[in-house]
Amino acid sequence: MSFLQEKMRFPGSQWIVGYVLPILLFALFLLLQGVNPIATFGNMISSVFGDFYGFGEVIIMTTPFILTALATVIPARAGLVNVGGEGQLAIGALTSTIAAVFLIDGWPMWIGLPLLMIFGALGGMIWAGIAAVLKAKSGMNETITTLLLNYIAFYTLAFFVHGPLKDPTSFNWPHSPELSDSLRLPTIPGSRIHIGIVIAIVIAVGMYFLFKKTRWGFYLKIVGGNPIAAFQSGFKVNKLQFWALVMGGAIAGLAGMIEVTGIEGRLRQTTGVDYGYLGFLAAWMARNHPIGIIFTALIIGMISVSGNSMEMTAGLPASVVHILMALVLFGILAMGRKSKS
Amino acid sequence: MIIEVLTGAIIAGTSVLYATTGELISERAGVINLGTEGSMVSGAMAAFAATAWSGSPWIGLAFGAIAGLLISLIHAFLVIDRKANQLATGLTIMFFGLGLSAFFGRSLVDKQINGFESIDIPLLSQIPFVGRILFTHDVLTYLSYLLVPAVWFFLFRTKWGIILRGAGENEQVVYAYGKSPKLVRYLAVMAGGLLAGVGGAQLSTAFTHTWIEGMTQGRGIIAVALVIFASWLPFRAMLGAYLFGGAYALQLALQGRGVDISQFLLFMLPYVLTLVAMFIVERKQRNMMPLGLKDVFEGGGN
Repeated sequence: MSFLQEKMRFPGSQWIVGYVLPILLFALFLLLQGVNPIATFGNMISSVFGDFYGFGEVIIMTTPFILTALATVIPARAGLVNVGGEGQLAIGALTSTIAAVFLIDGWPMWIGLPLLMIFGALGGMIWAGIAAVLKAKSGMNETITTLLLNYIAFYTLAFFVHGPLKDPTSFNWPHSPELSDSLRLPTIPGSRIHIGIVIAIVIAVGMYFLFKKTRWGFYLKIVGGNPIAAFQSGFKVNKLQFWALVMGGAIAGLAGMIEVTGIEGRLRQTTGVDYGYLGFLAAWMARNHPIGIIFTALIIGMISVSGNSMEMTAGLPASVVHILMALVLFGILAMGRKSKS
Repeated sequence: MIIEVLTGAIIAGTSVLYATTGELISERAGVINLGTEGSMVSGAMAAFAATAWSGSPWIGLAFGAIAGLLISLIHAFLVIDRKANQLATGLTIMFFGLGLSAFFGRSLVDKQINGFESIDIPLLSQIPFVGRILFTHDVLTYLSYLLVPAVWFFLFRTKWGIILRGAGENEQVVYAYGKSPKLVRYLAVMAGGLLAGVGGAQLSTAFTHTWIEGMTQGRGIIAVALVIFASWLPFRAMLGAYLFGGAYALQLALQGRGVDISQFLLFMLPYVLTLVAMFIVERKQRNMMPLGLKDVFEGGGN
């Protein structure tokens, strides 16, 4: 393999392994399914770049990925692995929906939306907080606890949309009632693009400065770099790690609120499914860089949207998106850059 | 009711037991594989499909095992050869397995199969109480009774067991035996994938006799959690798997009796129980962790 690694130094060949090879593999896969790959790729590209609508869909898709990626990035700074963006998003979506339906239904937007943001963030904080407490009190590994909590969150959400939160007018469809118009995120007129993307980018940039310019960011970096040395030098490692994880949860929870209030205006069992995992992968692709994740989230957003178009135009099932996504990620993983967070 | 739950614990826990045992082997060699979920779900689909086509669950089992192994081979290549991040790779493989199995399994959803049936073992199944709980199951469950002591023996009483654990603890041991740590890790990950595939096969062809998209529902992830719960010890992994199975069986039993609790709260039970079980045993755990894994868990999986 060593000669291959030598060749890998050329940036071009990295891109070939990382991006071209997976696409060729996927084309082969399509051929074997009796689907014309060139036409399919054409449709995929035009679904993303072809018109304003497609572009809008990409923006909408990218928004939650930026936020769930940040939910991984902040704990990663402190040396923690948060794979729980999935559950934190779900609980944030749940708490903000509960607040919108039962507490502040019909409240004016200027106070209602900020409140919902807080409720969503709180939901995510609580969910990440469980893992953070388990970590601090009993040393339980957060990778595993956040993963397990994802499944618990999924069923919690299912319980609510089938039970206390179920829309009484929906016959048997399990979803929440529609939120009042004043509690929906503003959209660009004539499109589905909502202001969530602005919120996401502002937070990402804010995080960048937090990491670079504040003492807290500096402490996080020291703790993340070498927790044991940091502990011995008198840093409150547990406390810093606790808050890093909880803050990550807050941002994932906010993503849940944005999904509910920005797109459909109601909560479903499937709201935000997979977004947490895709955000984790976006964070990994960007080496946990808070600005880099905006671009990696965009890549994942484009794959998701173009994948949906395959479903419609080539008659392929939705699961194909997962295959394409995995192939692209395999390529990037195989490039074998040493990750440094 | 108690017998029903305990019997159910065994049969529902068996798929998790295979996956957990496989993951244990892989982690003992220093590779954590969240892709176990992908191996398991692919194994479940391949086994179901092959059983449906061939009419023989044994052929199904072979396909399930191979599917699990092939999926894990990707993990092995990326993690061992390309030194990719273990957690990110595992998650990607989970996606890959879920996508592939959903894609190729879409025509199987309403198929009927003649899978593994329960066989009462003569005499043994007549033992009061214990007999019904332990000896009225499918062949794969019986095999898993043998697998666990076999893996224990292999890991702690054979030369190859020392070499495998050396790959996860101290590579010098592996070199001392004149073997390559890389090869050992490859084999361990592949064994893990194979067993996860068998676990998936048990789930689809022996336990449920159905195929549903994403039917493993996180059992592969549970397996990774249970390995930690088990302190990387095979018999404790068995206990963990049956604990998960017990919660699952309890949930079924309660639903069957029409207990007025939302099914979704019951579905949560096995996952909550796994967390609680880990919480109870956690404190002494980290000393038991193979050294090679510490970097993965504490350094973001590099």
